[in-house]
Amino acid sequence: MRVYEVFVKKDGRNEFRHVGALEAATDELALVLAREAYLRRAEGDRLWVVRRDHVVAAAGDFVDPNADKPHRHHDGAAVAARRMAARQSPG
Amino acid sequence: MARSWATMEDFEAFLDDGGLVEADDPMPDAYRQAVFAFIEMHANSELMGGLTERDWIPKTPGLRHKMAVLAKTQDEIGHGHLLYMVAADLGVKTRVEMLEDLFAGRSRFHNVFHYRAVTWGDQVAIAFLVDAAALISQQAVFKNCSYGPYKRILRRIIAEEGFHMRLGEDRMLRIAEGTDRQRLMFQESLNRWFWPALQLFGPDSESDDVLLRWHIKSERNEVLRDRWVQKFVPMLQSYGFTVPAPDMRWDAVRHRWDVGPIDWEPLKRTLAQGGPDSSRRIREAADNWSRTAWVRAALSHNNVAANDAGNGSTSAGGS
Repeated sequence: MRVYEVFVKKDGRNEFRHVGALEAATDELALVLAREAYLRRAEGDRLWVVRRDHVVAAAGDFVDPNADKPHRHHDGAAVAARRMAARQSPG
Repeated sequence: MARSWATMEDFEAFLDDGGLVEADDPMPDAYRQAVFAFIEMHANSELMGGLTERDWIPKTPGLRHKMAVLAKTQDEIGHGHLLYMVAADLGVKTRVEMLEDLFAGRSRFHNVFHYRAVTWGDQVAIAFLVDAAALISQQAVFKNCSYGPYKRILRRIIAEEGFHMRLGEDRMLRIAEGTDRQRLMFQESLNRWFWPALQLFGPDSESDDVLLRWHIKSERNEVLRDRWVQKFVPMLQSYGFTVPAPDMRWDAVRHRWDVGPIDWEPLKRTLAQGGPDSSRRIREAADNWSRTAWVRAALSHNNVAANDAGNGSTSAGGS
């Protein structure tokens, strides 16, 4: 038996959402079990199952450096203050 | 995100700050064990509840309600399935080990499933009172649960438990509007199930309860129990039923019902598998597990078409 991760997309929503996991012997049975376990009330109209051992997951600190990149953002409040200052200054 | 906590103080500060723990986080072992035990008991209770529900499929009156009981049975067994997956990912026991422990009477499930449902009235009382008690408990866990995978799976479970509770209320109302004989049947069921349902919340929380400290539960047992009492006592009375609590009184100062002293001995007995129906329930569940072995075998790796055979198998042994 293999563990599969289950992803569901609801009609009208943009993103697939991870909803849980299950164990199954084959891809086909994984789909059947996912439908019965996670979509009994039409919780979505698209279904993905992915073998857990096929998921490529970033290790530990791989994405950490991007938590400290303020130059990739811009603070709307700072622009608003500057805009206000420009309007109020003469000329 | 990579993270680790050097000390329990750091970890608790992270939890107090609203942090969510994920399955692959290096969580303290005491937290892992506490979360695991909590989810395992929830999973066991869903499974045992589903098996009780199943017993009533042939006996449920009316096709519409029979279909609803079928659906509810699948929901409860499904909840057990989702929860066993979440619990297994904590790496304490495999799914099969959890099931084997349950069927050998080595692990716990909710007190209410240690009693026998004798009449249809009992089944309605369970759906109305017990499902509501379970829902109140689960909502309080969902609200602020620090273990991410459990919190996410609870969202789905709570939505479905809401259907069950309304279904129970619908049936209870039908009985309340029924004949004297039907009303007497439900009163007798209420007499049997009111206290077990109330005891489901457990005794008052201890001041050092780690489930509260680690934000697994978000509210104390007595607070949840009181919420249930304040909702159900007036509701049952308004439909003309008698709450079987002789010492119950209305506290005019606090504007609340006080049900009087609670005897916790029955709860303790059920937790030690010594409830009135514990051994039969566990035996039936174990029999069911062995009778359905052929289904698991049919769905197992060796017996399905080899459409993707040859890939590595991580056998969890027969499930």
